[in-house]
Amino acid sequence: MAAPLLSLRGVGKNYGAVIAVRDVDLDVYPGEVLAICGDNGAGKSSLIKVISGAQAPSAGSITLRGAETRFRSPHDALAQGVATIYQDLALAPRLSIAANVFMGAELTRGPRWLRMLDKPRMAREARAYLARLSVAIDDMRRPVEGLSGGQRQAVAISRALRWDASIIIMDEPTAALGVKETAQVLDLIRHLKSEGRTVLLISHNMADVAALATRVAIMKSGAKVIDMPADGLGPDDIGHMIMTGRAA
Amino acid sequence: MPGFIERYGTVAAGLLLIAVFVVFAPNFATPANIVNVLKDTSFLAILAIGFTLALVVGELDLSVADIASLAAVVAGWLVQMKLDPLLAVLAAIGIATVAGAINAVGVTVLHVPSLIVTLGTAAIARGFAFMITQGVAFVGRWPTGFTGLSRGMSFGVPNLLLWLAGVTLLAWFLVKHTRAGAHMTATGEAEEAARLSGIATARMKRLGLLLSGTLAGITAVLLAANLSSAAPNMAGDYFLYAIAAVLLGMTMFEPGQPNIPGTVFAALVLKVLGNGLVLLGAAYYVQDIVLGLIMIGSVAASTVLTRRPAFANKLNFRMRA
Repeated sequence: MAAPLLSLRGVGKNYGAVIAVRDVDLDVYPGEVLAICGDNGAGKSSLIKVISGAQAPSAGSITLRGAETRFRSPHDALAQGVATIYQDLALAPRLSIAANVFMGAELTRGPRWLRMLDKPRMAREARAYLARLSVAIDDMRRPVEGLSGGQRQAVAISRALRWDASIIIMDEPTAALGVKETAQVLDLIRHLKSEGRTVLLISHNMADVAALATRVAIMKSGAKVIDMPADGLGPDDIGHMIMTGRAA
Repeated sequence: MPGFIERYGTVAAGLLLIAVFVVFAPNFATPANIVNVLKDTSFLAILAIGFTLALVVGELDLSVADIASLAAVVAGWLVQMKLDPLLAVLAAIGIATVAGAINAVGVTVLHVPSLIVTLGTAAIARGFAFMITQGVAFVGRWPTGFTGLSRGMSFGVPNLLLWLAGVTLLAWFLVKHTRAGAHMTATGEAEEAARLSGIATARMKRLGLLLSGTLAGITAVLLAANLSSAAPNMAGDYFLYAIAAVLLGMTMFEPGQPNIPGTVFAALVLKVLGNGLVLLGAAYYVQDIVLGLIMIGSVAASTVLTRRPAFANKLNFRMRA
């Protein structure tokens, strides 16, 4: 097997006396869709906050592409190629698709001190990112609030593509979506996988996990209790593992 | 995207209103009156552009008028002392910018809602303005080097209008066409999303509040230069008008969003309305009543135009629990 893209060793996170994550070792390999599952309070959100740079770990180390690193902020993680697509999407609803895709990393032209926005190029590239995800929207000036849930996810993912993120963390990507939109988002994840990008999927939806994941890690009481290939696992198997903490 | 009606409906209504006064208000369409209205619009619009920039980053700046009054008094004081007019101008704009910086620190460092911070600085500025003048106004024969800023002409155009055009273009360019403007807009529209995208949101807030102060200073200099006098509450009358201009402007061009063209055009509409009502013989208090109705109506209209509550995502100046 290839060398892991991202490795956690002995990662722990506690909030005062409350231990949210304890001593987690986790390897993430290039091109896989790793599902991180667990019941509410199992520690998966806290673990993801550490991996996404939202919070510093209380203990342990993170190795990215073979070198030890630390993420000072979500943006720092993004700059290092680890993008997080947040549950609440972290989009600016009234701003245009292009403005959202390039938020914080706008393309500029003209003299450097002026930092004038290169709107035509941003529109063109945003459209291309969406096309890569098989989402055809023509007008990049449309505010994202007018888009469907699936399209909004595509905009958020396009932002990750703009940074050429190699690891994309998706936190409950289908939680607020209807059936059709959920199917769209699952397609988006398949697209990312086919591009060779690594996806960390956090989901309550066992069907989504069973359909997409190549590997499943189960968290319970802050610890990683199961880490196994997802081949042949059905939704019920995963649900059983989450409840019992034992492999099916 | 909002449709044509949503973006230009109130603009058309404004143009219609202007047309009505041109036709029906006696002496409205005389050159002298039009220049008068445009000059008065300039003071209001420049002050309101400052308020707009603060609102773009999601903050309310309720201190613009009192800061302008203080800066005008500082300019008048220094001019009275026979200081070089340029120094007086720089001092006035400087003190207003410092006041803006105090607002910025209050919001981004002390984490006091801008609603409170700017009301506080407004009171402080007012106090200092009365302290410097001892309650009376500075009036005198001021050098044309100073008064010419407002009263002079360049290229056959009143200087005031050139100031307005320059400030409008710069502010519009900043907000719509620069990276800093994009960051300011993102900060005001969705602070959390902006922060997660690596935008220095606190810095953008400071920039918006600082520029608001600077523009209050420029307004102050132009006001004092135009009148050859400086009184401790001279910009007070512009306070509600500036807010109304921004709110009415938010129903134009980019409904629901504070925007520079909207603010400037709304300032013109408000000044035409005020002037026209006077010429039509309306009592002085009618203006205030109309102004209040416009403020409330504008925000209600923004909600209708964008089909969502105006200010829904501009929560920063609300009290946070």
